[in-house]
Amino acid sequence: MTLSKFVVAALAMSISAVALGAGAHGGGHGHGAKSGEPGKASDASRSITVEMYDNYYEPEKIEVAPGETVRFVVENKGNLVHEFNIGTPDMHEAHQEEMMMMVEHGIIQGGKLNHDMMEMDMGNGQTMKHDDPNSVLLEPGESKEVVWTFSDKGNIEFACNVPGHYQAGMYGDVNFNSEDASVRSLAGELKPSKKIQ
Amino acid sequence: MKRTLIAGALGLLLPAIGLAGECNLTVDRVEIDTGEFVKEGIGYNGESPGPVLRFKEGEEVSINVTNNLDEMTSIHWHGIILPFQQDGVPGISFPGIKPGETFTYKFPITQSGTYWFHSHSGFQEPEGAFGSIIIEPKDREPFRYDREYVVQLADKHPHSSERVMRNLKVTPDYYNRDQQTVGEFFSDASENGFLSTVKDRLAWGDMRMMKADVEDLQGFTGLINGKGPKQNWTGIFEPGERIRLRFINSSAMTYFDIRIPGLNMTVVQADGNNVQPVNVDEFRIGVAETYDVIVRPKDDQAYTIFAESMGRSGYARATLATQEGMEAPVPGLREPARLTMADMGGMPGMDHGDMPGMDHGDMDSTNEMAGMSGMDHSQMKGMDQPQMKGMDHSKMADMDHSSMAMSDGGASDPFYAQGSGLVPEAANGGKFLSYADLKAQKPLYDEREPTREIELRLTGNMERYTWSINGVKYEDADAIRLKYGERVRFKFVNETMMTHPMHLHGMWSILDVGAGQWNPIKHTVSVQPGTTVYMETEVDAPGQWAFHCHLTYHMAAGMFRKVIVEGGPESTQATSSEQSVDVGGDA
Repeated sequence: MTLSKFVVAALAMSISAVALGAGAHGGGHGHGAKSGEPGKASDASRSITVEMYDNYYEPEKIEVAPGETVRFVVENKGNLVHEFNIGTPDMHEAHQEEMMMMVEHGIIQGGKLNHDMMEMDMGNGQTMKHDDPNSVLLEPGESKEVVWTFSDKGNIEFACNVPGHYQAGMYGDVNFNSEDASVRSLAGELKPSKKIQ
Repeated sequence: MKRTLIAGALGLLLPAIGLAGECNLTVDRVEIDTGEFVKEGIGYNGESPGPVLRFKEGEEVSINVTNNLDEMTSIHWHGIILPFQQDGVPGISFPGIKPGETFTYKFPITQSGTYWFHSHSGFQEPEGAFGSIIIEPKDREPFRYDREYVVQLADKHPHSSERVMRNLKVTPDYYNRDQQTVGEFFSDASENGFLSTVKDRLAWGDMRMMKADVEDLQGFTGLINGKGPKQNWTGIFEPGERIRLRFINSSAMTYFDIRIPGLNMTVVQADGNNVQPVNVDEFRIGVAETYDVIVRPKDDQAYTIFAESMGRSGYARATLATQEGMEAPVPGLREPARLTMADMGGMPGMDHGDMPGMDHGDMDSTNEMAGMSGMDHSQMKGMDQPQMKGMDHSKMADMDHSSMAMSDGGASDPFYAQGSGLVPEAANGGKFLSYADLKAQKPLYDEREPTREIELRLTGNMERYTWSINGVKYEDADAIRLKYGERVRFKFVNETMMTHPMHLHGMWSILDVGAGQWNPIKHTVSVQPGTTVYMETEVDAPGQWAFHCHLTYHMAAGMFRKVIVEGGPESTQATSSEQSVDVGGDA
C-alpha cells in the first residue's frame, strides 16, 4: 500500500517534468492555439493589472495591438479559487472539462487548492498540474504574472474555467485596437438606449 | 439619475413597475385561461400572475395594496427580510386588509435577488394571487448576462381550492390517479417474491398512505407566467446571448423537475441568495423555492423549457426562441417515481421520538438501541437495513466532499433516503442538482455553534388528511419561542411520505449541506420522505413570524407554527436603526 504510493509519487514526479516541457496539462490547450504565445517580460510594452472577484474580473475588457506583448499582473481578491486563462472560446470549453476533473479530484475546493493532489498521476501518465504559460490558477490573496504575446486578431477571451465560473460570466474580452472598437458585450449594446435617455 | 438609466434599460427587457420606491397593487377578481379551461381567480392589477415588482437594495419601499375583493386579503413578501408587522400574515403580522381598504406596506430593502409575493389569506394564493419580485443589488451582480426573464410556475387546478380541500378531507386519494393496481401487485410479487410483496403492501396500508402518493394533487395544468403548455410562453433571445432565467415555483402543491433539452444551465442563485455556480442538466424546484440559472443558447433555434411534475402527472412548458412562434419538440412525461420502503418515514409502531430520529451516527449507544427494540420488528424486516444508514444528514459534516462530488451521476443524493424511489435523475443522464451542491457565494453569517437544537417532526395522517408538526396541528399548538440573538439548529424529521417545503418567515434558514461556513441560506427547505434535515437560524428578527409547510393544503390542514422571537433591540432602538422607528409609524 505505502510502497505503491511511493511508486506513484515517483512516477508522477518524472512525468510532470515531461508535461511541463510540453507546456500543457492533459494536452487540453496546447493544440491549435491561435491566441498567441508566451512572451518575455523584457518585451512587454506595458503591464495590465487584472483583479479577480467572486465571480468576475476587473476590468472585463482590454484592448491590445496585434503582436503586442503584455505583462498581466493577476490578483485574486475574492474568496474562491480563480483562473486567468487567455484563449479562444473553444479552448476555454475544452479546458473546462479538465478543470471539472480537478474539482472532482478535490484539487480545487472552494477557496483552496490542494497542491499535493495536483502532482499526482491520474493513471494515464498525466498529472493535473496547472502550469500552462497562458494561464494561472490562484487561491484567494495570491498574485501571479502572465506574459503573453498576442497574435493577430482573433476571438480571444480571458476566462476563469473553474466549473460554472465562465458560464456565470467570469470572462473578459480581448479587443484588438486596430479594429473598429465596436464592442461585443452587453454594456456596449445598451449604450444607445442610455444616450436616448 | 444613474438608477433611472439602468432601470430604463432593464425596462426594455421586462415589463416592470415600481421603479420608484412606491407602487400600487390592486387585488382583483380575474379570469384565468390555461388553454385547457377558463376559471375565475384572483390576481393583482387585473392579472394573474401579478406584475414583476422591481426594487433596489438599500431603498425604502412603500406599496399601497387596495382590496377589491369582497373578502379579507393580505400580501406576504416571500423571502424578504423586513419588520414583522410588514410580513403580511393575518393573525400574526397584522389583522389583514378588509374589503375596499387600502393598506400601505412600508419596509427597507436590505437584500437583492429573485423573490415573489402572494396572498396569505385562505386559498387566494392557489387561486392566482401571486407575483414576482426582482431586487437589484446595490453593487454589481457577480455574474454577467445579456437579458433576463422571470419564469414563474404554477399548478392551476380546474376545481376551486375549497373544493379540492373538501375532496382531500373526504377522500385523500381523490386526486391520485396513479394508485397501484392488482396487476402491478402480481408483477411486484413475481419480481420480489409473494411474501415480501404482501408485507410491503401491509406496511403501506398501515401507514394510511398509498404507495403512489408522490403528489396528492393531480389533474392540474402547469403554467409558466400564466400560460399553459398550449399557450407556450416564449422568451426571445439572439444566438450567443447569455440569458438569466429566474425560476419561481408559485405552485400550490407541485414540485417541478426542470430542463431545457440542448442547453446546459448554470445555477447562480437559490432562494434569492447567490450560490457558487453549478453547471447542471436538470434541477428540481420545490414549492415556494426560486432558482436563477444562466443559459447560453448559441444556435438560431427554439429550445423547450420543460417542467415536469415530480409525480409525472403533469407539466408546464415554455420556449426560448429567436422569434415568436418558433417551437421545439416537447418531451413526453417520464415514468412516475415510486416511493419505496426507504421513503417510509412514518412507519406505525416506530415512534420516531424514541427512535433517535434515525440518527445512526450514534447507534452504538445502548440506550438508543433499547429505544429501537420498541419497534415492530415484523415490519422492520420489510426494510432494507443497510439502506437506513444514509438517512442521517448530520453525518454529512464528516463526509469527504471531493468524493461526494465524484459520486454524482448515479441515483443517489444525500438529501433523499438511500434506496429512495424519489431520487431524481437527469433525463439526459447528466447532472441533476442536489442540495449538496449549493454553497453560498458569499456567506452572510459567520459560522458558530448553535445555542440549542429544536426537533420538529413532520407528521400527518393521510387517511384523515391531517398534517401537523410533532403530531399537533396549528390550532392546538403552542408557539415556538426563540430568543433574540441565539442561533437555533432545527432538526426536521419527516415521518410522512410526502416532501414538505418548510418555510420560516422573517429569518434566513441556513441549510446544513455539510459545507460549514459555505452552507447556503434559503427561505424554503425541502424535507424528503424518510429523511432528517438540519437547518440553523440566526435569530435576528424580533416579533412573531409564521413557520409552515408551503404546500397549500398541508398548511391549511395544520402543518404550521407561530414563532415568537423574545427580546430584541428595542432597548437599543435609539442607537441601532431607523428601521425600528419606521415600524412603529406603520403598525
